[in-house]
Amino acid sequence: MEVTFWGVRGSIPAPGPGTVRYGGNTSCASIHTPDGSLIVLDLGTGARNLGNSLMATRFGKGGGRATILLSHCHWDHIQGFPFFVPLYVPGNSFTIYGGGRSSALLEGILEGQMAPQYFPVQTLKNMGADIDITTVEEGRPFDVSGCQVTARTNPHGRAGALAFRIEAARKVIVYASDAGYGPEGAPASSIDLYRGADILIHDSTYTLEDRARHPERGFSSLDDAVAAAIAARVKKLVLFHFDQDYVDTDVDALVERGRRLLDDRGGGAIEIAAAAEGLTLTP
Amino acid sequence: MNVRFWGVRGSLPVPGAKTERYGGNTSCVEVRSAAGTRIIVDAGTGIRKLGKDLMHAEFDAGKGSAHLLISHTHWDHIQGLPFFAPLYRKGNRLYVYARQRDDVHLRAVFASQTEDPYFPIPFEEAKADISFRELTDSARFAIADVKVSCTRLNHPYIATAYRLAVDGAAVAYVSDTAPFADILFEHEFIREPPSPGEKLSHGDEEKLRTMRAGLVRLCEGADLVIYDTMFTADDYRRMPHFGHSRPSDAVAVCQEAGAKALVLYHHAPERSDGEVDEIVGQTRATAQKLEVLAAYEGLDIPLGTS
Repeated sequence: MEVTFWGVRGSIPAPGPGTVRYGGNTSCASIHTPDGSLIVLDLGTGARNLGNSLMATRFGKGGGRATILLSHCHWDHIQGFPFFVPLYVPGNSFTIYGGGRSSALLEGILEGQMAPQYFPVQTLKNMGADIDITTVEEGRPFDVSGCQVTARTNPHGRAGALAFRIEAARKVIVYASDAGYGPEGAPASSIDLYRGADILIHDSTYTLEDRARHPERGFSSLDDAVAAAIAARVKKLVLFHFDQDYVDTDVDALVERGRRLLDDRGGGAIEIAAAAEGLTLTP
Repeated sequence: MNVRFWGVRGSLPVPGAKTERYGGNTSCVEVRSAAGTRIIVDAGTGIRKLGKDLMHAEFDAGKGSAHLLISHTHWDHIQGLPFFAPLYRKGNRLYVYARQRDDVHLRAVFASQTEDPYFPIPFEEAKADISFRELTDSARFAIADVKVSCTRLNHPYIATAYRLAVDGAAVAYVSDTAPFADILFEHEFIREPPSPGEKLSHGDEEKLRTMRAGLVRLCEGADLVIYDTMFTADDYRRMPHFGHSRPSDAVAVCQEAGAKALVLYHHAPERSDGEVDEIVGQTRATAQKLEVLAAYEGLDIPLGTS
């Protein structure tokens, strides 16, 4: 199993000279599973580059299958969907898992993005690939091409966002973007989901100080991410979903500060890194 | 007047080293008259930085007012608006203008963009005073000292071009549009390019001729024409049904209209800085007296008395 990052930014893409190293695209990562299948985590604008790279593979010929896990449907997690080229190749097949009360509601949300006032393709049905859209049942593991996937809702503003635990060949990757915990930190159900992960990809939108200025936005601070990593005894913490105003040196500083926090708070054995476009990690 | 570019890209924002010089933000241009009237054309992601810039002055005190002209409501022309900081300061005023639609009220198009579950802050919670004005295809009106005129473009679901005249100068904003041949874009989804040899109906041809004549009139004698030149000749051969122009289409319209300068705009997401440089060079070689440049983030052009 390996995970690759295609977009690591939160809220809105942040192009410019200041974000070239970590990247300015919004949230998207991909996991190559031990049996050679593909799982995509969120479809921010990073999904465009992922999709383009897939066109050189079976996805370019209409023989691709992949699973897409959506944490939630804020724009920065779905705005790459209309620009994910493999969706336009007939014969490709995608299963999209997300949250919400019903599969029909989730489909309606994705349809809404394609509507004629917003996008020339007008409807999902004009895209070409087979697209199956399903809501997940929280806490109940399901099988995705030989991996076991479990989802749990994290508090995130008014919406809530799913965190995913993906296990295969005794390795665990957890994706927890957009987590706005209360003052008591991550709930026990979230810590359970993260427990013992080889790689915990965790929302680290803000420094502690910036989060205090924007508590209503429902994002984690670096300190929240560090606390969750220590409580869940993970092996590696990967900082993710950086604020659109943070330049590369701000992200460097987050990593340095995170290292110190881990060391000071009993997480000295936990590795730390910042997600960056093009970075591939193997648990 | 002064024209400033905040986002120059089409389709979607493209961060990265390849777009560092021209910029990766989607469409947004600011026009300011000498008397201080502020008009923003399109609200792609470029408007976020404009908003931050505006918060240094009267918009921070809740005393700012701006007029936002929308060419059409495809994402790359509206997706920055929820991140426009002046919207969240009470007392600021934003007047939004766009072509009237048959199906959805303009306000609903914008309100849906920020509704649950797409965005955490609903439109109703934006504290500024936001009002909407729906336009006809060839509307003419004044925004304080600025004279505005409109004409219809050839783009899926229809877009509007604007001419802004003030301070003895005029700028035309022409994005997005296909050339006025091959396909007439209205409300249908066009799945495939026309087959070789397929002819337009006489009625469609006539509509396109009228539309192009309207655009040439709009650009007449303009000091600056900002034009959707997203496609190369090869792109257009493959994707004539996507609704974008080549530099040669823009040059022809500008020359017929006797415009002074052309700004290549709405660069394709895959276009690297070096490729944009090349396109500018090639276009200049064919443009004779017409001055040609490519839009980049931060480009500032004073026109007339400013």
